[in-house]
Amino acid sequence: MYAQAFFVAVFGLAAIGFGVVVFRTSSMVRSALALLFSQTAVGCMFLAMQTEFLGVLQIMMMATEMSIMAIFMVMFMMDPGGLGGMDMSHQKRFSIGAGVSAAVVAIAVALLSDWGPVAEQVPDAEAQTRALGMELLGRSMMIFETAGITILTAMIAATAVAIPVKNLASKDNKEASE
Amino acid sequence: MTVAIVLLALLGSAWLLAVIEGWMTTGRLSPAAPLYSGLAHLGRESIVPRSPDRVFFEAAPVLLLVVAVLGMAVLPLAPDLIIADLGTGALFINAALAYVLVAVIMAGWGPDGAYAMIGGWRFLGQLIAYSMLIVMPITAVAMRAESLVNTAIVSSQAGLWNIVYQPLGFVLFFIAAMALAFRAPFDLPTAEGDLGGGVDAEYTGVRLAVLRLARLTLVVTLASATTVFYLGGWHGPLFPPWAWSLVKTLAVAVSMLLVGRYLPRIREADLMRWCWILGIPLALVNIIIVGLLILVVP
Repeated sequence: MYAQAFFVAVFGLAAIGFGVVVFRTSSMVRSALALLFSQTAVGCMFLAMQTEFLGVLQIMMMATEMSIMAIFMVMFMMDPGGLGGMDMSHQKRFSIGAGVSAAVVAIAVALLSDWGPVAEQVPDAEAQTRALGMELLGRSMMIFETAGITILTAMIAATAVAIPVKNLASKDNKEASE
Repeated sequence: MTVAIVLLALLGSAWLLAVIEGWMTTGRLSPAAPLYSGLAHLGRESIVPRSPDRVFFEAAPVLLLVVAVLGMAVLPLAPDLIIADLGTGALFINAALAYVLVAVIMAGWGPDGAYAMIGGWRFLGQLIAYSMLIVMPITAVAMRAESLVNTAIVSSQAGLWNIVYQPLGFVLFFIAAMALAFRAPFDLPTAEGDLGGGVDAEYTGVRLAVLRLARLTLVVTLASATTVFYLGGWHGPLFPPWAWSLVKTLAVAVSMLLVGRYLPRIREADLMRWCWILGIPLALVNIIIVGLLILVVP
Protein backbone atom coordinates (compact mmCIF):
# COMPACT_ATOMS: atom_id res chain seq x y z
CA MET A 1 0.00 0.00 0.00
CA TYR A 2 2.82 2.43 0.88
CA ALA A 3 4.71 1.56 -2.30
CA GLN A 4 1.53 2.20 -4.28
CA ALA A 5 0.99 5.57 -2.59
CA PHE A 6 4.65 6.43 -3.23
CA PHE A 7 4.42 5.71 -6.97
CA VAL A 8 1.10 7.52 -7.31
CA ALA A 9 2.75 10.54 -5.66
CA VAL A 10 5.89 10.32 -7.84
CA PHE A 11 3.90 10.11 -11.09
CA GLY A 12 1.56 12.82 -9.85
CA LEU A 13 4.49 15.15 -9.22
CA ALA A 14 5.94 14.22 -12.64
CA ALA A 15 2.59 15.11 -14.25
CA ILE A 16 2.61 18.52 -12.53
CA GLY A 17 6.30 19.04 -13.40
CA PHE A 18 5.76 18.37 -17.10
CA GLY A 19 2.60 20.50 -16.92
CA VAL A 20 4.72 23.41 -15.70
CA VAL A 21 7.21 22.83 -18.55
CA VAL A 22 4.33 23.23 -21.03
CA PHE A 23 4.09 26.91 -20.06
CA ARG A 24 7.76 27.54 -19.34
CA THR A 25 9.04 26.76 -22.84
CA SER A 26 8.70 28.85 -25.99
CA SER A 27 9.15 25.89 -28.36
CA MET A 28 5.80 24.60 -29.55
CA VAL A 29 7.11 21.06 -30.03
CA ARG A 30 8.64 20.99 -26.55
CA SER A 31 5.40 22.35 -25.16
CA ALA A 32 3.28 19.69 -26.93
CA LEU A 33 5.60 16.83 -25.94
CA ALA A 34 5.81 18.09 -22.34
CA LEU A 35 2.01 17.93 -22.27
CA LEU A 36 2.27 14.40 -23.71
CA PHE A 37 4.64 13.29 -20.97
CA SER A 38 2.42 14.95 -18.35
CA GLN A 39 -0.50 12.87 -19.66
CA THR A 40 1.72 9.77 -19.78
CA ALA A 41 2.52 10.33 -16.11
CA VAL A 42 -1.24 10.46 -15.42
CA GLY A 43 -1.50 7.11 -17.27
CA CYS A 44 1.26 5.75 -15.03
CA MET A 45 -0.78 6.95 -12.00
CA PHE A 46 -3.65 4.80 -13.29
CA LEU A 47 -1.24 1.86 -13.54
CA ALA A 48 0.00 2.46 -9.99
CA MET A 49 -3.62 2.47 -8.86
CA GLN A 50 -4.10 -0.96 -10.51
CA THR A 51 -6.47 0.22 -13.23
CA GLU A 52 -4.40 -1.35 -15.97
CA PHE A 53 -6.72 -0.95 -18.96
CA LEU A 54 -7.37 2.75 -18.33
CA GLY A 55 -3.67 3.39 -17.73
CA VAL A 56 -2.49 1.65 -20.90
CA LEU A 57 -5.27 3.30 -22.92
CA GLN A 58 -4.33 6.75 -21.62
CA ILE A 59 -0.64 6.18 -22.40
CA MET A 60 -1.46 4.93 -25.91
CA MET A 61 -4.01 7.58 -26.92
CA MET A 62 -1.97 10.56 -25.76
CA ALA A 63 1.12 9.65 -27.83
CA THR A 64 -0.76 10.07 -31.10
CA GLU A 65 -3.00 12.93 -30.04
CA MET A 66 -0.27 15.15 -28.65
CA SER A 67 2.01 14.48 -31.63
CA ILE A 68 -0.76 15.60 -33.98
CA MET A 69 -1.32 18.64 -31.79
CA ALA A 70 2.41 19.39 -32.05
CA ILE A 71 2.30 19.62 -35.85
CA PHE A 72 -0.76 21.88 -35.75
CA MET A 73 1.03 24.15 -33.29
CA VAL A 74 4.08 24.22 -35.58
CA MET A 75 1.86 25.04 -38.56
CA PHE A 76 -0.16 27.81 -36.99
CA MET A 77 2.07 29.52 -34.42
CA MET A 78 4.32 32.33 -35.57
CA ASP A 79 7.46 31.22 -33.74
CA PRO A 80 7.17 27.43 -33.46
CA GLY A 81 10.80 26.84 -32.53
CA GLY A 82 10.76 29.50 -29.82
CA LEU A 83 14.05 30.88 -31.14
CA GLY A 84 12.66 34.24 -32.22
CA GLY A 85 12.27 35.47 -28.65
CA MET A 86 8.56 36.18 -29.09
CA ASP A 87 6.45 36.42 -25.96
CA MET A 88 3.32 34.45 -26.76
CA SER A 89 1.74 34.73 -23.31
CA HIS A 90 -1.06 37.12 -22.44
CA GLN A 91 -3.51 37.95 -19.61
CA LYS A 92 -0.83 36.84 -17.13
CA ARG A 93 -2.44 38.16 -13.94
CA PHE A 94 -5.82 36.69 -14.77
CA SER A 95 -4.23 33.34 -15.70
CA ILE A 96 -2.22 33.15 -12.49
CA GLY A 97 -5.30 34.05 -10.45
CA ALA A 98 -7.44 31.46 -12.24
CA GLY A 99 -4.72 28.81 -11.89
CA VAL A 100 -4.22 29.40 -8.17
CA SER A 101 -7.98 29.44 -7.47
CA ALA A 102 -8.49 26.22 -9.44
CA ALA A 103 -5.62 24.57 -7.54
CA VAL A 104 -7.06 25.68 -4.19
CA VAL A 105 -10.52 24.34 -5.13
CA ALA A 106 -9.00 21.02 -6.35
CA ILE A 107 -6.96 20.60 -3.15
CA ALA A 108 -10.00 21.49 -1.01
CA VAL A 109 -12.12 18.90 -2.84
CA ALA A 110 -9.36 16.29 -2.39
CA LEU A 111 -8.99 17.00 1.31
CA LEU A 112 -12.59 17.64 2.34
CA SER A 113 -14.39 14.94 0.35
CA ASP A 114 -15.50 11.75 2.01
CA TRP A 115 -13.81 9.22 -0.25
CA GLY A 116 -15.30 6.21 1.59
CA PRO A 117 -13.37 3.14 2.71
CA VAL A 118 -10.14 2.32 0.85
CA ALA A 119 -10.57 -0.80 -1.31
CA GLU A 120 -8.32 -3.57 0.00
CA GLN A 121 -8.92 -5.92 -2.91
CA VAL A 122 -9.38 -5.06 -6.58
CA PRO A 123 -10.26 -7.47 -9.40
CA ASP A 124 -7.30 -8.49 -11.57
CA ALA A 125 -6.62 -6.72 -14.86
CA GLU A 126 -8.44 -9.32 -16.97
CA ALA A 127 -11.60 -9.13 -14.85
CA GLN A 128 -11.45 -5.33 -14.95
CA THR A 129 -11.15 -5.30 -18.74
CA ARG A 130 -14.10 -7.68 -19.03
CA ALA A 131 -16.19 -5.60 -16.62
CA LEU A 132 -15.36 -2.43 -18.55
CA GLY A 133 -16.30 -4.12 -21.84
CA MET A 134 -19.64 -5.29 -20.42
CA GLU A 135 -20.29 -1.76 -19.16
CA LEU A 136 -19.40 -0.10 -22.48
CA LEU A 137 -21.51 -2.50 -24.53
CA GLY A 138 -24.28 -2.87 -21.96
CA ARG A 139 -25.77 -0.18 -19.77
CA SER A 140 -23.62 2.68 -21.14
CA MET A 141 -23.76 1.68 -24.80
CA MET A 142 -26.10 4.46 -25.92
CA ILE A 143 -23.98 7.16 -24.26
CA PHE A 144 -20.73 5.99 -25.81
CA GLU A 145 -22.22 5.23 -29.23
CA THR A 146 -23.86 8.67 -29.29
CA ALA A 147 -20.56 10.31 -28.36
CA GLY A 148 -18.73 8.26 -31.00
CA ILE A 149 -21.24 9.08 -33.76
CA THR A 150 -21.18 12.77 -32.77
CA ILE A 151 -17.39 12.92 -33.03
CA LEU A 152 -17.45 11.08 -36.38
CA THR A 153 -20.12 13.47 -37.68
CA ALA A 154 -18.04 16.45 -36.59
CA MET A 155 -14.99 15.03 -38.36
CA ILE A 156 -16.89 14.40 -41.60
CA ALA A 157 -18.54 17.83 -41.36
CA ALA A 158 -15.18 19.54 -40.81
CA THR A 159 -13.73 17.78 -43.85
CA ALA A 160 -16.81 18.58 -45.92
CA VAL A 161 -16.62 22.26 -44.93
CA ALA A 162 -12.95 22.33 -45.90
CA ILE A 163 -13.37 20.77 -49.35
CA PRO A 164 -16.17 22.84 -51.02
CA VAL A 165 -14.23 26.07 -50.48
CA LYS A 166 -11.49 24.71 -52.70
CA ASN A 167 -14.00 23.41 -55.25
CA LEU A 168 -15.96 26.65 -55.31
CA ALA A 169 -12.78 28.64 -55.86
CA SER A 170 -11.78 26.42 -58.77
CA LYS A 171 -15.36 26.63 -60.14
CA ASP A 172 -15.28 30.43 -59.92
CA ASN A 173 -11.92 30.49 -61.67
CA LYS A 174 -13.26 28.23 -64.38
CA GLU A 175 -16.31 30.43 -64.88
CA ALA A 176 -14.16 33.53 -64.90
CA SER A 177 -11.85 32.06 -67.49
CA GLU A 178 -14.85 31.11 -69.64
CA MET B 1 16.32 -14.63 -15.11
CA THR B 2 13.43 -14.37 -17.61
CA VAL B 3 14.32 -10.72 -18.23
CA ALA B 4 17.93 -11.66 -19.02
CA ILE B 5 16.90 -14.50 -21.38
CA VAL B 6 14.40 -12.35 -23.29
CA LEU B 7 16.87 -9.46 -23.59
CA LEU B 8 19.58 -11.85 -24.80
CA ALA B 9 17.17 -13.37 -27.34
CA LEU B 10 16.28 -9.85 -28.52
CA LEU B 11 19.90 -8.77 -28.84
CA GLY B 12 20.89 -12.06 -30.53
CA SER B 13 18.03 -11.75 -33.02
CA ALA B 14 18.97 -8.13 -33.77
CA TRP B 15 22.57 -9.23 -34.39
CA LEU B 16 21.48 -12.08 -36.67
CA LEU B 17 19.23 -9.70 -38.55
CA ALA B 18 22.10 -7.25 -39.04
CA VAL B 19 24.26 -10.10 -40.40
CA ILE B 20 21.53 -11.17 -42.84
CA GLU B 21 20.91 -7.55 -43.88
CA GLY B 22 24.63 -7.17 -44.58
CA TRP B 23 24.60 -10.42 -46.54
CA MET B 24 21.70 -9.24 -48.69
CA THR B 25 23.26 -5.85 -49.46
CA THR B 26 26.95 -6.74 -49.86
CA GLY B 27 26.72 -10.44 -50.84
CA ARG B 28 29.21 -11.37 -48.10
CA LEU B 29 28.19 -13.38 -45.04
CA SER B 30 30.20 -11.84 -42.22
CA PRO B 31 29.02 -12.69 -38.66
CA ALA B 32 31.44 -10.20 -37.11
CA ALA B 33 30.40 -7.27 -39.34
CA PRO B 34 27.77 -5.82 -36.91
CA LEU B 35 30.38 -5.91 -34.13
CA TYR B 36 32.97 -4.08 -36.25
CA SER B 37 30.34 -1.61 -37.41
CA GLY B 38 29.24 -0.97 -33.81
CA LEU B 39 32.84 -0.49 -32.64
CA ALA B 40 33.50 1.85 -35.56
CA HIS B 41 30.49 3.96 -34.55
CA LEU B 42 31.74 4.08 -30.94
CA GLY B 43 35.15 5.19 -32.15
CA ARG B 44 33.82 8.04 -34.29
CA GLU B 45 33.15 11.54 -33.07
CA SER B 46 29.51 11.99 -32.07
CA ILE B 47 28.81 15.42 -33.49
CA VAL B 48 26.15 17.70 -32.01
CA PRO B 49 24.65 19.95 -34.70
CA ARG B 50 24.41 23.71 -34.34
CA SER B 51 21.61 24.96 -32.00
CA PRO B 52 19.85 21.64 -31.46
CA ASP B 53 16.96 20.93 -29.16
CA ARG B 54 19.38 19.07 -26.96
CA VAL B 55 16.84 17.16 -24.83
CA PHE B 56 15.06 15.74 -27.89
CA PHE B 57 18.32 15.08 -29.75
CA GLU B 58 19.76 13.03 -26.90
CA ALA B 59 16.53 11.33 -25.79
CA ALA B 60 15.19 10.19 -29.19
CA PRO B 61 17.53 7.20 -29.89
CA VAL B 62 17.21 5.99 -26.29
CA LEU B 63 13.41 6.36 -26.31
CA LEU B 64 13.20 4.36 -29.57
CA LEU B 65 15.27 1.56 -28.03
CA VAL B 66 13.26 1.60 -24.79
CA VAL B 67 9.87 1.34 -26.54
CA ALA B 68 11.10 -1.54 -28.73
CA VAL B 69 12.27 -3.43 -25.63
CA LEU B 70 9.04 -2.56 -23.73
CA GLY B 71 7.00 -3.97 -26.63
CA MET B 72 9.00 -7.20 -26.45
CA ALA B 73 8.42 -7.42 -22.67
CA VAL B 74 4.77 -8.41 -23.14
CA LEU B 75 5.37 -10.95 -25.95
CA PRO B 76 5.79 -14.60 -24.90
CA LEU B 77 8.65 -16.74 -26.27
CA ALA B 78 7.25 -19.79 -24.44
CA PRO B 79 4.34 -20.31 -21.99
CA ASP B 80 6.53 -19.29 -19.04
CA LEU B 81 9.09 -17.22 -20.91
CA ILE B 82 7.57 -13.74 -20.83
CA ILE B 83 8.69 -10.72 -18.83
CA ALA B 84 5.19 -9.41 -18.04
CA ASP B 85 2.06 -11.35 -18.99
CA LEU B 86 -0.24 -8.35 -18.68
CA GLY B 87 -4.02 -8.58 -18.62
CA THR B 88 -3.99 -5.99 -21.41
CA GLY B 89 -0.92 -7.27 -23.30
CA ALA B 90 -2.34 -6.85 -26.82
CA LEU B 91 -3.24 -3.23 -25.99
CA PHE B 92 0.02 -2.55 -24.19
CA ILE B 93 2.08 -3.37 -27.27
CA ASN B 94 0.10 -0.70 -29.16
CA ALA B 95 0.77 1.76 -26.36
CA ALA B 96 4.50 1.04 -26.37
CA LEU B 97 4.78 1.23 -30.16
CA ALA B 98 2.83 4.51 -30.27
CA TYR B 99 5.95 6.08 -28.75
CA VAL B 100 7.97 5.10 -31.84
CA LEU B 101 6.21 8.08 -33.40
CA VAL B 102 7.20 10.33 -30.50
CA ALA B 103 10.83 9.17 -30.74
CA VAL B 104 10.97 9.76 -34.51
CA ILE B 105 9.41 13.23 -34.18
CA MET B 106 11.95 14.05 -31.45
CA ALA B 107 14.80 12.73 -33.64
CA GLY B 108 13.48 14.87 -36.50
CA TRP B 109 12.97 18.08 -34.54
CA GLY B 110 15.99 17.76 -32.24
CA PRO B 111 18.99 18.30 -34.53
CA ASP B 112 17.69 21.53 -36.18
CA GLY B 113 18.18 20.12 -39.67
CA ALA B 114 15.74 20.50 -42.56
CA TYR B 115 15.96 16.93 -43.85
CA ALA B 116 15.65 15.44 -40.39
CA MET B 117 12.64 17.59 -39.59
CA ILE B 118 10.84 16.68 -42.82
CA GLY B 119 11.59 13.01 -42.07
CA GLY B 120 10.17 13.31 -38.54
CA TRP B 121 6.92 14.96 -39.62
CA ARG B 122 6.62 12.55 -42.53
CA PHE B 123 6.44 9.72 -40.03
CA LEU B 124 3.44 11.43 -38.44
CA GLY B 125 1.68 11.24 -41.82
CA GLN B 126 2.80 7.63 -42.11
CA LEU B 127 1.23 6.91 -38.70
CA ILE B 128 -2.11 8.33 -39.89
CA ALA B 129 -1.88 5.76 -42.70
CA TYR B 130 -0.75 2.63 -40.86
CA SER B 131 -2.05 2.96 -37.28
CA MET B 132 -5.58 1.70 -37.95
CA LEU B 133 -4.10 -1.29 -39.77
CA ILE B 134 -2.16 -2.22 -36.63
CA VAL B 135 -5.08 -1.82 -34.23
CA MET B 136 -7.95 -3.32 -36.26
CA PRO B 137 -6.28 -6.67 -37.13
CA ILE B 138 -5.23 -7.02 -33.45
CA THR B 139 -8.90 -6.46 -32.53
CA ALA B 140 -9.87 -9.47 -34.67
CA VAL B 141 -7.09 -11.54 -33.07
CA ALA B 142 -8.31 -10.61 -29.58
CA MET B 143 -11.89 -11.43 -30.65
CA ARG B 144 -10.91 -15.01 -31.45
CA ALA B 145 -8.92 -15.43 -28.22
CA GLU B 146 -11.66 -13.61 -26.23
CA SER B 147 -8.78 -12.02 -24.33
CA LEU B 148 -6.15 -9.29 -24.52
CA VAL B 149 -3.63 -11.54 -22.74
CA ASN B 150 -0.90 -12.46 -25.21
CA THR B 151 -0.35 -15.98 -23.85
CA ALA B 152 -4.12 -16.59 -24.22
CA ILE B 153 -3.89 -15.31 -27.82
CA VAL B 154 -1.16 -17.89 -28.57
CA SER B 155 -3.14 -20.65 -26.80
CA SER B 156 -6.20 -19.82 -28.93
CA GLN B 157 -4.16 -20.83 -32.02
CA ALA B 158 -3.28 -24.33 -30.76
CA GLY B 159 -5.59 -25.98 -33.32
CA LEU B 160 -5.36 -23.51 -36.19
CA TRP B 161 -2.98 -20.57 -36.58
CA ASN B 162 -4.46 -17.15 -37.18
CA ILE B 163 -2.62 -16.84 -40.49
CA VAL B 164 -5.05 -19.50 -41.79
CA TYR B 165 -8.05 -18.39 -39.71
CA GLN B 166 -7.75 -14.71 -40.67
CA PRO B 167 -5.26 -14.38 -43.58
CA LEU B 168 -6.57 -10.95 -44.51
CA GLY B 169 -5.72 -9.66 -41.04
CA PHE B 170 -2.23 -11.14 -41.31
CA VAL B 171 -1.49 -9.41 -44.63
CA LEU B 172 -2.73 -6.04 -43.33
CA PHE B 173 -0.83 -6.38 -40.04
CA PHE B 174 2.38 -7.43 -41.82
CA ILE B 175 2.27 -4.41 -44.13
CA ALA B 176 1.40 -2.04 -41.26
CA ALA B 177 4.18 -3.51 -39.10
CA MET B 178 6.69 -2.78 -41.87
CA ALA B 179 5.38 0.79 -42.05
CA LEU B 180 5.67 1.12 -38.26
CA ALA B 181 9.27 -0.13 -38.36
CA PHE B 182 9.88 2.32 -41.25
CA ARG B 183 11.62 -0.32 -43.32
CA ALA B 184 11.73 -0.16 -47.11
CA PRO B 185 9.44 0.36 -49.02
CA PHE B 186 7.98 2.47 -46.18
CA ASP B 187 11.26 4.12 -45.12
CA LEU B 188 9.93 7.61 -45.77
CA PRO B 189 11.38 9.21 -42.60
CA THR B 190 14.90 8.06 -43.47
CA ALA B 191 14.58 8.02 -47.27
CA GLU B 192 18.15 7.96 -48.58
CA GLY B 193 17.14 9.05 -52.07
CA ASP B 194 15.20 12.21 -51.36
CA LEU B 195 16.04 13.13 -47.74
CA GLY B 196 19.67 12.03 -47.52
CA GLY B 197 19.01 9.90 -44.44
CA GLY B 198 16.17 12.01 -42.95
CA VAL B 199 15.98 11.47 -39.20
CA ASP B 200 19.27 9.52 -39.34
CA ALA B 201 21.06 12.31 -41.20
CA GLU B 202 22.32 14.38 -38.28
CA TYR B 203 23.24 11.49 -35.98
CA THR B 204 26.81 10.21 -35.82
CA GLY B 205 28.98 8.08 -33.56
CA VAL B 206 27.49 6.43 -30.50
CA ARG B 207 24.11 8.14 -30.94
CA LEU B 208 23.79 6.68 -34.46
CA ALA B 209 24.81 3.26 -33.10
CA VAL B 210 21.97 3.40 -30.55
CA LEU B 211 19.54 4.56 -33.26
CA ARG B 212 20.52 1.69 -35.58
CA LEU B 213 20.29 -0.87 -32.75
CA ALA B 214 16.88 0.53 -31.81
CA ARG B 215 15.61 0.17 -35.38
CA LEU B 216 16.80 -3.44 -35.62
CA THR B 217 15.26 -4.20 -32.21
CA LEU B 218 12.01 -2.65 -33.39
CA VAL B 219 11.94 -5.01 -36.41
CA VAL B 220 12.52 -8.01 -34.11
CA THR B 221 9.76 -6.85 -31.72
CA LEU B 222 7.30 -6.43 -34.59
CA ALA B 223 8.27 -9.80 -36.07
CA SER B 224 7.73 -11.36 -32.64
CA ALA B 225 4.32 -9.64 -32.41
CA THR B 226 3.41 -11.07 -35.84
CA THR B 227 4.48 -14.52 -34.59
CA VAL B 228 2.39 -14.21 -31.42
CA PHE B 229 -0.70 -12.84 -33.16
CA TYR B 230 -0.71 -14.89 -36.39
CA LEU B 231 1.86 -17.71 -36.48
CA GLY B 232 0.83 -19.66 -33.39
CA GLY B 233 3.63 -18.29 -31.19
CA TRP B 234 5.48 -21.15 -29.52
CA HIS B 235 3.32 -23.93 -31.06
CA GLY B 236 5.15 -26.48 -33.24
CA PRO B 237 6.27 -30.11 -33.22
CA LEU B 238 9.56 -31.65 -31.98
CA PHE B 239 11.52 -28.56 -30.96
CA PRO B 240 11.08 -26.75 -27.61
CA PRO B 241 8.57 -23.85 -27.57
CA TRP B 242 11.18 -21.06 -27.33
CA ALA B 243 12.98 -22.44 -30.42
CA TRP B 244 9.78 -22.25 -32.46
CA SER B 245 9.16 -18.68 -31.31
CA LEU B 246 12.69 -17.62 -32.31
CA VAL B 247 12.63 -19.41 -35.68
CA LYS B 248 9.26 -17.90 -36.61
CA THR B 249 10.28 -14.43 -35.42
CA LEU B 250 13.47 -14.52 -37.48
CA ALA B 251 11.60 -15.86 -40.51
CA VAL B 252 9.13 -12.96 -40.32
CA ALA B 253 11.92 -10.40 -39.78
CA VAL B 254 13.91 -11.72 -42.75
CA SER B 255 10.78 -11.75 -44.93
CA MET B 256 10.28 -8.07 -44.01
CA LEU B 257 13.84 -7.31 -45.17
CA LEU B 258 13.34 -9.33 -48.36
CA VAL B 259 10.05 -7.66 -49.27
CA GLY B 260 11.67 -4.28 -48.71
CA ARG B 261 14.61 -5.14 -50.89
CA TYR B 262 12.57 -5.85 -54.00
CA LEU B 263 9.97 -3.07 -53.80
CA PRO B 264 10.43 0.61 -54.65
CA ARG B 265 9.79 3.23 -51.95
CA ILE B 266 6.15 4.25 -51.86
CA ARG B 267 5.11 7.93 -51.93
CA GLU B 268 3.51 9.18 -48.70
CA ALA B 269 0.33 10.38 -50.44
CA ASP B 270 -0.06 7.00 -52.15
CA LEU B 271 0.52 5.17 -48.86
CA MET B 272 -2.16 7.28 -47.17
CA ARG B 273 -4.61 6.79 -50.05
CA TRP B 274 -4.18 3.01 -50.23
CA CYS B 275 -4.31 2.54 -46.45
CA TRP B 276 -7.52 4.52 -46.07
CA ILE B 277 -9.38 3.62 -49.27
CA LEU B 278 -8.42 -0.06 -49.35
CA GLY B 279 -6.76 -1.03 -46.06
CA ILE B 280 -9.33 0.17 -43.52
CA PRO B 281 -12.38 -1.28 -45.35
CA LEU B 282 -10.49 -4.58 -45.68
CA ALA B 283 -9.66 -4.50 -41.96
CA LEU B 284 -13.38 -3.98 -41.22
CA VAL B 285 -14.24 -6.89 -43.54
CA ASN B 286 -11.69 -8.99 -41.64
CA ILE B 287 -13.36 -8.14 -38.32
CA ILE B 288 -16.80 -9.03 -39.75
CA ILE B 289 -15.53 -12.36 -41.19
CA VAL B 290 -13.83 -13.29 -37.91
CA GLY B 291 -16.97 -12.30 -35.97
CA LEU B 292 -19.12 -14.48 -38.23
CA LEU B 293 -16.66 -17.40 -37.95
CA ILE B 294 -16.71 -17.12 -34.15
CA LEU B 295 -20.52 -17.13 -34.13
CA VAL B 296 -21.05 -19.80 -36.79
CA VAL B 297 -18.16 -22.25 -36.39
CA PRO B 298 -18.25 -23.99 -33.00
